[in-house]
Amino acid sequence: MTDRPSILVPLRVLEGESVPEGVPTLLADAHVVLLGYHVIPEQTAPGQAQLQFQERAAARLDEYEAIFEEGGATVDRRLVFTHDAQKTIDRTIHEHDCMAVLAPNATGSVGEVLVAVRGTVGVDRLARVVAGVFGVTDAGITLYHVAETEETDEDIGTLLDGVTDRLADLGVDESRIKTRVEREQDPLDAITATAEAFDAVVVGETDPSLVTFVFGMPADTVADRFHGPVLVVQREPEPVEDE
Amino acid sequence: MAEQPVDVDPGGQNVAGEAPAAEPDAVTDDTTVHDDDVELERTIGLTGGLAIGIGTMIGAGIFVFPGLAANNAGLAATLSFAIGGLIALLVALPTSELATAMPRSGGGYYFISRGMGTAYGAVVGLGLWLGLMFASAFYLVGLGHYASAVFAELGVDLPFSPVIGIGLLFGAALTVLSIAGTENTATLQNLVVGVLLVVLTAFLSYGMLDAFGVFGRTSVPEQVFSRGYFPVLTTAALVFTSYLGFAQVATVAGEIKRPGRNLPRAMVGSVLVVTVFYAVTIFVATSAFGADRLGQFGETAMVEVARDVLGLPGAVAILGAGLLATFSSANASVLSASRAVYALSRDALLPRKASEINLRYGTPHVALLAAGGPILALVGTGRVELLAEVASFLHLVMYGLLCVALLVLRRRDPDWYSPSYRVPGYPVVPSLGALASVGLIAFMQPASIAIGVGVMAVSYLWYRYYAGDVTLRGDV
Repeated sequence: MTDRPSILVPLRVLEGESVPEGVPTLLADAHVVLLGYHVIPEQTAPGQAQLQFQERAAARLDEYEAIFEEGGATVDRRLVFTHDAQKTIDRTIHEHDCMAVLAPNATGSVGEVLVAVRGTVGVDRLARVVAGVFGVTDAGITLYHVAETEETDEDIGTLLDGVTDRLADLGVDESRIKTRVEREQDPLDAITATAEAFDAVVVGETDPSLVTFVFGMPADTVADRFHGPVLVVQREPEPVEDE
Repeated sequence: MAEQPVDVDPGGQNVAGEAPAAEPDAVTDDTTVHDDDVELERTIGLTGGLAIGIGTMIGAGIFVFPGLAANNAGLAATLSFAIGGLIALLVALPTSELATAMPRSGGGYYFISRGMGTAYGAVVGLGLWLGLMFASAFYLVGLGHYASAVFAELGVDLPFSPVIGIGLLFGAALTVLSIAGTENTATLQNLVVGVLLVVLTAFLSYGMLDAFGVFGRTSVPEQVFSRGYFPVLTTAALVFTSYLGFAQVATVAGEIKRPGRNLPRAMVGSVLVVTVFYAVTIFVATSAFGADRLGQFGETAMVEVARDVLGLPGAVAILGAGLLATFSSANASVLSASRAVYALSRDALLPRKASEINLRYGTPHVALLAAGGPILALVGTGRVELLAEVASFLHLVMYGLLCVALLVLRRRDPDWYSPSYRVPGYPVVPSLGALASVGLIAFMQPASIAIGVGVMAVSYLWYRYYAGDVTLRGDV
């Protein structure tokens, strides 16, 4: 396993979510953390659901695991019965040190990838995910940045050059990398509108500031609006806090 | 993250040919792990645990018992509540140790079946399930009294007493809601408990100042043991129902995050909190009226106390709080009862079918019906004191055995027994806990004791008939 980035693929395994077409190929060079989860209401003990559903859920996960392995990925799998999907996903990200989470939508072969570059997620993690997943393919990579009003061209240049350099370090041919900058637009609208022309999107998880807390995480919203697969790159894990 | 191995290997079959479900491989702070890659997420934090404990208990002790207790024991009813609290604490400490050693669903039943074997486990488990039904029915009758008081307050004159009818109505509603409702009830429960604590703190603080004459009133001087000494103990036995909630925390032990830390805190903490509230409540209530008059007001005495101290708004606030509190207590007990049914069915002491999950709602409909149905029949009796005492009896038997289980496990000291919390004052505390639990039973009414013993006998016979071959005790 030569530095494959760990990508979390969460699936509501008993509610008909399965591995969409194209995703195994997309993640052929990744380490897939396959998380099958089932959310149960509070009246039900998780063990109760396990007693009844484990066999069925495990059989499905077996299938999915085989699909990913056939595609070339290495796979770790978990089946979780939970009252709180968010807690389960966050915990799995943390325990398996996942670099990104995939919002699994179907895709054909990936020709063009849109990489939304924002200051909030470390450039290094972003580059490692992009290089790890798309490095050995010949997909075109477009680094996309929506500028804030006070940002100068110089700032943006530094930011995007930084990502390009880092990708080159990781073995991505610079000729495949394009950059694109937009101004005076709402970042979310801009990203979703631009994404239409691409086969896959890579975005960073946004800091949970007040605005995003109220309107939902932008990265999730991109995943909702875009019909192809979206990789949401996770922030650097915080030091473990003592609750 | 500490991983605790689990090394208990249940075996045997019941008459339907079902074997106990396999035990998990390991228990972590965040999950229970089965078969290496199947995890059961722990999602209840300390606040949630405290809310379950306090929410279950506070409805009874504050909103139903003060009048009844004052009637039986006079001002010394305060002492009865204190005795109840002390016994609860003596049991909560050993239970905490057992819970951190075995943080699994099923609570007291689980600890006893693993510590002392299937027969004890079955008697306790079935008794717990039925005990919770008696407790729920008791809360619902209390709720009926509060709802009737609302009618009285509105000046609606009903030609019949609506207490039982309303209790039945809410009991049915509760069962249906718990089967078909999938909204986030835990958040609601936390909120309800928070609101109750705020309302009560405000009311009791004012009442205390009032009782000490700050507002220029002199309270009725009172003889403490106006009914003698013996009723203090019988009243303690009666009001012990106000202390059953901490064990309900243990029934969801499998879902508590960081069990080694949160379980002891939630159980001991909720006992301490309610004990203080109860003692203050009784003090304020008896100061306002004197035990004799308070006793005449019956189940909804607190409404009259609030009216006396704060006028109509006080009465309305306490009425509302009483409705909320009794409903949340009943709700918590139904959910715990359903967890108890699941734990029994997992261990093949009840048919596996009993813990089946409804495919449409994702809720354990059979277990919830098995809890909700009998509750209605019990509510129908309308006998507050009897329901309370039988509930207490069945719980006290479990509490006594919990303490014994702790003593047994500490003596045998099997490899798998490694609690992260250890009871202080071993072996005195668990021994006292066991003696006090059993001792309190002696002060109950003969009818309650007879029903309780009957339930235990039937539970034992069921075990012999249905699951005589099942072995659950942990290996030495």
